[in-house]
Amino acid sequence: MRPIIGITSYVLPASWGVWTDLPTALVPHDYTEAVRLAGGRAVVLPPDDLDADVLDRIDGLLLAGGADLHPSLYGQEPGPYTVAQPDRDAGELTLLRGALDRDLPILGVCRGMQLLTVVAGGTLHQHLPDTLGHEKHRPGPGVYGSQQVLLDPESRIAALMGDDLTINCFHHQGVADPGSLTVTGRATDGLPEVVEDPERRFVLGVQWHPEVSRDRRLFGALVAAASKELTQACADR
Amino acid sequence: MRRPLIGLTAYAEQIHHGRNDLMAAMLPMNYVKAVHATGGRAVLITPDDPGTDVLESLDGIVFCGGGDIDPANWGAPRHPATEVDTVRDTSELMLMRAALEAGLPMLGVCRGMQLMAVATGGSLHQHLPDLVGHERHRAAAGTDPLAAGASDYGRHDVVVEEGSAAHRLFGRTLTVNSFHHQAIADPGEFLPVGWCPDDQVIEIVEHPGRSFALGVQWHPERTSDLRAFAALAEASARARAVAA
Repeated sequence: MRPIIGITSYVLPASWGVWTDLPTALVPHDYTEAVRLAGGRAVVLPPDDLDADVLDRIDGLLLAGGADLHPSLYGQEPGPYTVAQPDRDAGELTLLRGALDRDLPILGVCRGMQLLTVVAGGTLHQHLPDTLGHEKHRPGPGVYGSQQVLLDPESRIAALMGDDLTINCFHHQGVADPGSLTVTGRATDGLPEVVEDPERRFVLGVQWHPEVSRDRRLFGALVAAASKELTQACADR
Repeated sequence: MRRPLIGLTAYAEQIHHGRNDLMAAMLPMNYVKAVHATGGRAVLITPDDPGTDVLESLDGIVFCGGGDIDPANWGAPRHPATEVDTVRDTSELMLMRAALEAGLPMLGVCRGMQLMAVATGGSLHQHLPDLVGHERHRAAAGTDPLAAGASDYGRHDVVVEEGSAAHRLFGRTLTVNSFHHQAIADPGEFLPVGWCPDDQVIEIVEHPGRSFALGVQWHPERTSDLRAFAALAEASARARAVAA
């Protein structure tokens, strides 16, 4: 049995075929493919904030990208460029806190990294062009900013990435204060691109989009950590 | 875990959202809401490798609506009106056969009900208007044929066979919405237990050898009548209690 990786999802009015603007639970196909190619079994978790019990049935959590977090989560008012989806925030926070309680392996992508940060007591920059004075992290609609990431050589991410340090960014918010997490990678402008929690088995957040290239270095590491979870769970039963 | 975990078969589809266009693993939220409203916890099961291992983590499964099933699965040539997604067919047929084998409680909705027939050796009518001479089983997309003041297009009664599990759930008759252009011809290992009285199109099937395997041709998730979902949640919770 493959480890099951739960992927958090969006709810958007989507159109396809004969259907127009139908509220739909979805996640870009890149995420489910990246998990599949790395040897995991993806299931998509529609938003639900009643409880996090679903985590008792999965082996790893993947926090997918998406809209901005509501700034009230880190004690700020929304800025002029912040577009939040508060209904998604509640369900994902419930899942993330439950996963941390269970020490489940967690990979956060883009918004997912920002969620890890906020739950760790950190804060975000609400609009990077205002902070950094450039748009290299989101060059334009549908265009990923290609950058080189600088990694702490002692970190988990450095061991995973190896020699190819090219990353593809698409975000206008970023980590200001990582809270209790450790920043283990930065862009050349100094912006945090990777956060980790070295105290836990596998908690990793990246600001870029490894799912687009189905990057087996990162998804493989999540699946490997989740396999250990699965083996342990079977031994406990 | 207090709530039974219900898998919903989802699919990969090119969708539009505002100006964005992306390939997404997706499912309309009304299925998710129907599961949550009846006491389950929904997860979406996307087409995947030839693997059915995910079923071991589920307490129940819904085979959801969608496009047509490839008639090659019952050895028929393709009708011009038939549109298929063979990746989804392969994945769902495998999941359904494994779920039946494992006795996992299951609900089939529209395409999911048709899949029950095909997975167990049955067959479909590929285009109902050719058979019944009218289009009244296919309401316009996005409409609610059960709304007050709606035309009777895409709405009809279903008569349920006495003594069936479906009869205990729905009673003798009910009124349903209708969004399909194909229908079951041969139900395979399933039993037909509900029909549209106007044209005898099969509307409900159930499996005589399983504790809960129910298929409905209509879309209960788009209505306030969630009895089919509630029955699945109940059967799933019961199966889980037995397994524990």
